[in-house]
Formats: sequence, C-alpha cells, structure tokens
Amino acid sequence: MNCEEVTKLMDGYLDGELDPITSQTIEQHLRECRKCEQAYEAHTALADAISRGAPYHKAPAELRQRVQSSLRDAIGVRASRGATRENQALLTSPRTKRRLVLPEISWNWLALAAAIILAAIIASSFLPRLRPPASDQFLATQLTASHIRSLMADHLTDVASSDQHTVKPWLDTKLDFAPPVVDLSSEEFPLIGGRLDYLDNRPVAALVYGRRKHFINLFVWPAASDEAKAPKTITREGYQLLHWTDSDFTYWAVSDVNVNDLQLFKQQFETRTPHH
Amino acid sequence: MALLLKAEDASETEEFESTPKIVKFVVVKKREEDHAQPAELTSFEEAMLPHLDAAHNLARWLLRNEQDAQDVVQEAYLRAFKSFAGFHGSNGRAWLLTIVRNTSYTLLKKNRAVDLTTTFDEEIHAAGYESVSPATILEHSENTERIREAMDELPAEFREILTLRHQEGLSYKEIAEIAQIPPGTVMSRLARARAKLKECLVVRIGKEK
Repeated sequence: MNCEEVTKLMDGYLDGELDPITSQTIEQHLRECRKCEQAYEAHTALADAISRGAPYHKAPAELRQRVQSSLRDAIGVRASRGATRENQALLTSPRTKRRLVLPEISWNWLALAAAIILAAIIASSFLPRLRPPASDQFLATQLTASHIRSLMADHLTDVASSDQHTVKPWLDTKLDFAPPVVDLSSEEFPLIGGRLDYLDNRPVAALVYGRRKHFINLFVWPAASDEAKAPKTITREGYQLLHWTDSDFTYWAVSDVNVNDLQLFKQQFETRTPHH
Repeated sequence: MALLLKAEDASETEEFESTPKIVKFVVVKKREEDHAQPAELTSFEEAMLPHLDAAHNLARWLLRNEQDAQDVVQEAYLRAFKSFAGFHGSNGRAWLLTIVRNTSYTLLKKNRAVDLTTTFDEEIHAAGYESVSPATILEHSENTERIREAMDELPAEFREILTLRHQEGLSYKEIAEIAQIPPGTVMSRLARARAKLKECLVVRIGKEK
C-alpha cells in the first residue's frame, strides 16, 4: 500500500472501521513511513480535539416536560375528541401511570417468584440428600448472576488468553492466592481467559472456558476448612452449577451446558491440576 | 342509563379513587379508545426518552439555534410516536436520530438555509494540512468555544457527521442510516469534514496569533 492509499483510508483506520487485514497493512505502513505516521498522529490529535472540545448540547429539563406533555396532548386529542383539555389532563396522567405500572410490576414479581419456586423445586427434588443450606442458595444466586453478567456486559475476561501461563500470573498478581489454571483445549474445553470477581465476601478468580458455543465460568477461591467435600449440583434458572472442593480450593462451575458436560469438565480439570 | 354506567364503571375505578368524580365520567365515556394508547405511550417513552439528549444535541448542531432545536425535537418525538408501531428494529437511538435529522432539514430548507450543499475546495484543505502542529491543535482545543465556532461554520452535512461520530460515537453503518448516504460514503465525508474543521481551526488560531 502506498502513501496515497493510506491517506485515503486514514479516517477509517482511525475510527476502527476497516477490516482487520487492511487495518494491519496500514499499521505496517505507519511503522515504516515517518511521513504518514506524523500525518496519522496529527489526525488523531484533531479527532481527540473534536471529541473533547465540541460542546455537547444536553436537553434542558423543560424540553423533556414539553415533549411529554405534547405526546399526552396528541393522545388526548385522539382518545377524547369531545372532552375539554382540563379533563384530558386529569384523565391521562394518573390513569396512564396506575393502569400500566401496577399490573406490570405485579406480573414481574409473579414471574420472579415462580422462577425462584421452580428453581427451588428442581433443586430439592433432584438433590434430596444434598439440599444446600441457605447460604449456598444465596451463593448460587450470586454465582448465576455473575455468570449471566459476564456474558451480558461484554466483560467476559479481564485477561483474554488461551495460554495458562499468561492467565495464571495475571491472576496471581491480582489476588492473595494462586488459583490453579489449566488449558483444557485438548479435551474440548479451551481456556478463554480469566477475570476478577467478588463473591462470598471476597475477591475470587473466574476462569473462563469454552464448550462448543457455550461458556463456562469457573469460580475459584481458597477453601474454608469446614467445607463439605461432596460435590454438588444445583440448577438455577436454566443454568447448571457444579461445586466441588479439593484440599486448597473451592470451585464453582457455572454454565448453560448440560450436567454431563459440566461433570466431564470437572473430571478433566481435576485430572490436569496437580494433586495435593 | 346513568345508573348502568356507574355500575359498569365500578370495577374500573377503584385504582384511582382519589381523582375527582368528573374524571370518572370522562373515563367511562372514552374507555374503549383509551385502552391501547397509554400502554403504547409508556413503551414509546421508555424506548425514546433516554435519547432526548442525543436528539437535542443533533438538532442544536444542525439548526445552530436553541429555540429551533427544541421545536424540532418536540416535532420529531411526535412524528416518531406516530410511526412507533412500525418500528421493530433494535437501534432506537439511530431510528430517532434519523427522524430528528429529517425534521431538522425540513426546517433548514424552509428557512432557505444556504449551507445545505457543500462547496468545498480540496486545494485549500490540502494547503492547510501540515502548517499547524498536532500539539497546537490540541492546545487550542481546550477552548471549547473555539471548536464550537469552527464547527458552526461548517456546512450542515459536516456538522451532522462530526456530531454523530465524535459525540454520539456511532458506527459508520449507523451514520449511513441516519444521514441516508451509502455506507461507503461515510468515511470520505468524515475525512472531508475533519479536514474542513481543521482548516477553520487553523484560520482561527492564525488570526489570534
């Protein structure tokens, strides 16, 4: 790529809107061509100046009111052609709020209550003897929430690497313990990366593994001495939770893969971690 | 008849006992048409009111006048509400901004604004390109008033694209949709807008020296 072509594509490059290959070619060119590199720096400075310097005209508070009341007027005109304006105002505002908000909230609560009861029934019927105590239930909620959040907020990993020798040192420096990290690519559970999380009132390591198109979050923190040794499974809102401990750590694997896959994952993980 | 209405009404009105009696009467009369509307309004407001700042900002940059901007935003929200039933996309902001943009241009055209089309000399921009250092530009960008003035000098289509990119952080695809230009044109228009803004800034900085 020559200088002229690079100049032509510079804005797209700056905005991160080029395909990866073109982008790399330009990057390569900028490393080699001082003149283009300078032009790029100047262009970046300009872009920053616009982003930082141009004032953002926020909507004044009265505009919101104006928009809202004009929308209500528009409805009022349609809904009660014969009525006077005063009546419409009385009619539309309290009515809209009470009518809509109340039923929606109660339905949400009902759905939530139903989900919790269902999860409880499933958990208690599948695991009659291992029914977790209340604290485990609370922890399971936290774990599930953390798993869902990690997929939702585009924040799956703090350190994205399939190399256990990258992920482990990173976590070691951030935590007061050194969690075991193994890559299970050969068992079709490739390591995707690691993340810090806060659970059970302490910072924990979250290791992220892939399983076909699914993700497994493996939460790891030091085991408390009095913890139960038997592995547990819990199902919660469609997610599987598998819990086990070894002499040093407590593990919670959370995923939407099926129980068998999760058991297999545990097995592979245990085989590959050094025994204590 | 009056009795019948009252009886029918009884099941409906317990939620708003505190409101004056006259309201109940109107409610009974208009209940049927009234039913669907507030639900639609609520979901419309939930989807679109969070973008009020973005709508106002775009209108304000396009019209360069606060009063016009507010009128346009109000009008755009009304238009958006009327066609909200037909909106099934996921990008509410882009959809709303398209309407704000169109409403703004309607007003600009009505006011016979001369800046709708770009007359822009590539030669001038090429000449000014290297004369001012990045540091100088950055230094002067601290003065937001100067940037605002320089941006206000630009033609509408440049003000629009700079706002959408630099203030709303929209992708080229979204910008193409809002500005109704082919996606391939976004990059070159953005390049010209930035170059032109730089030129305006350079002139301003030069004058002040």
